[in-house]
Amino acid sequence: MEGLFFNVSAGFLEGILRGYKAGLLTQAQYATLTQCETLEDFRMQLSATDYGNFLANEPLPISTSKISDKATQVMVDQFHYLRSNAVAPLDKFLDYITYAYMIDNVILLITGTLHERDTHELLERCHPLGVFDTMPALCVATNVEELYQSVLVETPLAPYFRECLSASDLDDLNIEIIRNTLYKAYLEDFDNFCQSIGGPTYDAMHRILAFEADRRTINITINSFGTDLSKEQRARLFPTIGNLFPAGNNLLAKADEIEQVRAVCDYVAEYRHFFDAAASSASRGNGGAGDDPTSAIAATLEDRFFATEVHLNKLSFLQQFQYSIFFSYFKLKEQEIRSLTWIAECIAQDARDRIQDFITIF
Amino acid sequence: MSGPREAIFPTRMALTNTKLRLKGAQTGHSLLAKKRDALMTRFRAILRKVDEAKRKMGRVMQLASFSLAEVTYATGDIAYLVQEQAKNASFRVKAAQENVSGVVLPTFEVDRVAGSDFNLTGLGRGGQQVIKSKEVYAKALETLVELASLQTAFMILDEVIRATNRRVNAIEHVVIPRLENTIKFIISELDEMDREEFYRLKKVQGKKKRDAEAAEALKKKLAIEAGEAAEESAKPVSVLVDEEVGPGDLLATKDEDVIF
Amino acid sequence: MGYGSYATLGLTTATAVSVGLYLLLTGKGETFNVGAFLEETSPYAWASVGIGLCLGLSVLGAGWGIFLTGASILGGGVRAPRIRTKNLISIVFCEVVAIYGVIMAIVFVQKVESVPEAKLYTPSNYFTGFALFWGGLTVGLCNLFCGIAVGMTGSTAAIADAADPTLFVRILVVEVFASIMGLFGLIIGLLVGGKAANIE
Repeated sequence: MEGLFFNVSAGFLEGILRGYKAGLLTQAQYATLTQCETLEDFRMQLSATDYGNFLANEPLPISTSKISDKATQVMVDQFHYLRSNAVAPLDKFLDYITYAYMIDNVILLITGTLHERDTHELLERCHPLGVFDTMPALCVATNVEELYQSVLVETPLAPYFRECLSASDLDDLNIEIIRNTLYKAYLEDFDNFCQSIGGPTYDAMHRILAFEADRRTINITINSFGTDLSKEQRARLFPTIGNLFPAGNNLLAKADEIEQVRAVCDYVAEYRHFFDAAASSASRGNGGAGDDPTSAIAATLEDRFFATEVHLNKLSFLQQFQYSIFFSYFKLKEQEIRSLTWIAECIAQDARDRIQDFITIF
Repeated sequence: MSGPREAIFPTRMALTNTKLRLKGAQTGHSLLAKKRDALMTRFRAILRKVDEAKRKMGRVMQLASFSLAEVTYATGDIAYLVQEQAKNASFRVKAAQENVSGVVLPTFEVDRVAGSDFNLTGLGRGGQQVIKSKEVYAKALETLVELASLQTAFMILDEVIRATNRRVNAIEHVVIPRLENTIKFIISELDEMDREEFYRLKKVQGKKKRDAEAAEALKKKLAIEAGEAAEESAKPVSVLVDEEVGPGDLLATKDEDVIF
Repeated sequence: MGYGSYATLGLTTATAVSVGLYLLLTGKGETFNVGAFLEETSPYAWASVGIGLCLGLSVLGAGWGIFLTGASILGGGVRAPRIRTKNLISIVFCEVVAIYGVIMAIVFVQKVESVPEAKLYTPSNYFTGFALFWGGLTVGLCNLFCGIAVGMTGSTAAIADAADPTLFVRILVVEVFASIMGLFGLIIGLLVGGKAANIE
């Protein structure tokens, strides 16, 4: 049934998006990029790809952050083009994608406001995808209470705040806990929204969102070892839509060491190999962190997560007439920008041996 | 009598004084030379360490900035959040002093406070990379502090060694030769004076002898002539003696005056 | 398929049931008489509705297919302009479906002539009327679904071609199979129509 009506509203945009997707860098292009000796070469190779001359007007000593900024700008332009052509329910779907960045921006602004920084300076550091209309109004707010009352209420994030935190919480809670609570609410809400769209969109999106949820759950567990984050607090940060939910989440909430995390992940077939491979590479002696098994496993785990995320996002392109490709494309693009920055960084720092440690998409 | 010397009266007293000063200068010279050698040894050691530390810094800083790249890869830009959340310094530098051959060298020591304010950064993802990066940067900072300590010591030692070298050279090439010249001058002046005195004495003696001989001869003559005319000869002799001695005395005193 | 369709379904059933019960309980049950309805309706009505459905549904299918394909060709063509001409073939496949409908409509129209009312209600004319109606419906529905099928595969073909030119021919094969389904309708429609004599 999706095939009958999907193209009415989103066929054109899907075509365009798949066109964008065809512009993602391929293995061969990555191989050429890794051969570059200098960033100047790098820029020249990139101009032959879909990025075109996005760095052409930059003065010569190109910094890696500049490359990443410009590449992000390319992505943001693509997003805005799609967003301005989108009709319901795709517009809402695209808005949901921006919420993730919005959370980061709001957290940044709250941090800045707590320390009474110049808000104009903060605005420049915000991710361009997460910009919302009332953001410049943040310059008016001076404390967090006011910030919430005057600005956050207007944003789409307000429900997340309302459900999880009161204004007084904002003052004394650790900012990272706020961020993760918001993100949990966001993931659950997004999943709900996808369910209301239904069909293959939900199938594909649920797979991705469930993985994202599990990934956060595992990461939060591992990263909270040895910190003052209590187990009850930790349990409250776990999203409830993952494959690990509910039994795995409960076990992870009580976990104290990496072995327990591994045992929990063994219940889910897709996650089982993460730790096997991570452990084997850790025993090989993984760089500087090899002496500490926990951090070594966690470090390779992060790479595996990225690889799996890319894999899942690639899967959603296999099905036509559904919205998850819009989400997947921007995730892949983000990954590509990360990879580009990584390669640029490796070239700039002359670290040839690590240059292959990025994730090829196609 | 070449080279500069001190403006001093060539007296025995001055000679003794100057000799004492020369001795002092020589002792000082050897002491300073010893100090210089000690400092030089230290300096060389520090130089080697600085070189080592600089190489190490290159490696460590590269590692550190690379781990930052890893963090950026995993979590994105966290610089601002970290910057805002840091409340207490977890990495402090303490300054202490070290004494090397009388030179006070400041040394810096690392004092790390366990725990940190942003240990929850990257909780959702990339937390391990953040922690790793933090460790690597702490190591890099340690190297930097060590390097700073060495570098300061290097600068100060360099200054001190140069000053000491200047002093040693000044003593060796200016003070000691001048003192030696002065001594030589005094000795030669004194010798000169001795010789003049001796000559004068000789001269006086010679004159006295001649006078005595003359007087003797006169006496004899008188004695011979006494017989003839004792009263006649006595007066002219005394006049003659007075005339001969007067000009000699005058010459001697005049000479001394000119010299002194 | 949201609440709207459920509401429509429910309302229709409720109306049908209440009307039926009303007729039954007020003693007018015999008004609901299928046989009389079929006998009393003019063969012209059957024939015309059949022709209309034949053409209308065919054009609906073709149009549906063209917009499905067209939207994707437009979107895909932005980043890969080379697909424009090649994928016109998908549009042509959809258009063919409408042409089937037009052909069948013309064939059916030939069977209808104006005759006096006395001569109208003959068994032969009844047969022609029913044949044209059901034949037209067959052709129309066949072409409608064929058009949709071709449209969807055409849209996929456009996007696949934009991503990888070698895929075009393979998906075109699928598309050809889809477009053949319209031909089935055409054939059966011709057979059904061929059996019917002209109304005279």
